[in-house]
Amino acid sequence: MAATWRQAAVRDPFDLDALARVLAGSRFAGKLHFFPSIASTNSYAMQAAEAGAPDGSVYFADEQTNGRGRGAHTWESAVGAGLYVSVLLRPQLAPTDALWLSLAAGLAGQSAVRQVTSLETDLRWPNDLLLGKRKFCGILTELNADPSFRHAGAPVIGVRHAVIGIGMNVHQTEFPPELREIATSLHLETGRDWPRQELLAALLQSLENEVSALTESSERAAGSICRRLEAGSTWIRRKRVRVEEREDGEGGFAGVTEGLDARGFLRVRTPEGLRTVLSGGVREA
Amino acid sequence: MKAEETQELKELIEFLKENKIGEFELERGDLKVRIRFVGEGAPDLSHLAHLLASQAPAASPVIPAAIPAVHASAAAPSAQPPADASEDASLHIVKSPIVGTFYESPSPGSPAFAKIGDRVETGQVLCIVEAMKLMNEIESDAAGEIVKRLVQNGQPVEYGQPLFALRIS
Repeated sequence: MAATWRQAAVRDPFDLDALARVLAGSRFAGKLHFFPSIASTNSYAMQAAEAGAPDGSVYFADEQTNGRGRGAHTWESAVGAGLYVSVLLRPQLAPTDALWLSLAAGLAGQSAVRQVTSLETDLRWPNDLLLGKRKFCGILTELNADPSFRHAGAPVIGVRHAVIGIGMNVHQTEFPPELREIATSLHLETGRDWPRQELLAALLQSLENEVSALTESSERAAGSICRRLEAGSTWIRRKRVRVEEREDGEGGFAGVTEGLDARGFLRVRTPEGLRTVLSGGVREA
Repeated sequence: MKAEETQELKELIEFLKENKIGEFELERGDLKVRIRFVGEGAPDLSHLAHLLASQAPAASPVIPAAIPAVHASAAAPSAQPPADASEDASLHIVKSPIVGTFYESPSPGSPAFAKIGDRVETGQVLCIVEAMKLMNEIESDAAGEIVKRLVQNGQPVEYGQPLFALRIS
């Protein structure tokens, strides 16, 4: 009963049959799992991965009751207002190369939004999508690798599974006060309601292209990712930023962005020299 | 250099030696270490190990001065393969497969995945190393007791950097 009520309450419901038709022939075919409500699509997908779910499994929901971000952050996931989706991949990649998945996922999101809405969005390293200064799409990737060692002690570790979780604000007309300055939605920016179905289909198709390119030749794909990031982001160069390195707020530094290194890490010129951002939040200074 | 840092450096050199890693650089706040082995075969680092051992482990009250660089360039003696089954065979080192930030728990404030004294199984998650918002679950590749954690929570780690020492059992 609860599910029926919720579905009725959603203005922009997914048409699961139509989605299955659009994605027929892709790695996601026959592996779409929809939930009216779920705690966290990423947590579910990680558990499913442990239990042996196949590459290309997609878990998406109308509502998350415990949507997760990085560290202790949560992702506001109101009923029917956004895209809450996690994609399980089992790509043949070394974990070092798996880092490209994180950057590629941001580019896939940017491409999907462009295809459906014609909007040019900004990418904040590593993979936040912004409209103006506000974020409307966040991505969290979780990875599990095989820790067996080969080649005379050098760690060569294969990715067992990666789960890319994407939260995109679509229909929200307002946000709680604590998010108002930093969050936005496609509706708030354009005054229109864009169909989640089309956004999801475009997102999955873009993601498939990115993953295929990476597993074909991670070297070639890496070059392409870096070039597209340079072109599609105002944050990669000449942006004055503050980097929050740690969850507890300790440390951190400020400087001006100076491109990406060969591994895709952001470089920031500080008074003390060039720093490489491995992780952490990059914010406008 | 603080005593524990000297100890850590010694362990690091042991690790590099065992794995025949030719070159290693580490930056950790003010501390910079660069180690390069010259020549082929097993490097002979007994010199450096001696040097470190002889340093008075004075507990410095001031912030440890930046170590400009430790250059360990030792010509290899006639190729002597390192004894794999060394006296430390019972200690197994779990290394980071990825560059990133070390986290002991799934989220700030939650209990650590594993702590010193814990018995862990092969495949058990010991920590997370995060880079670019990619959370990498690091599993133990051996079963045993955790006797040492070699990095601090929130610390940046390099590819191949030792994270935990296990006593295999």
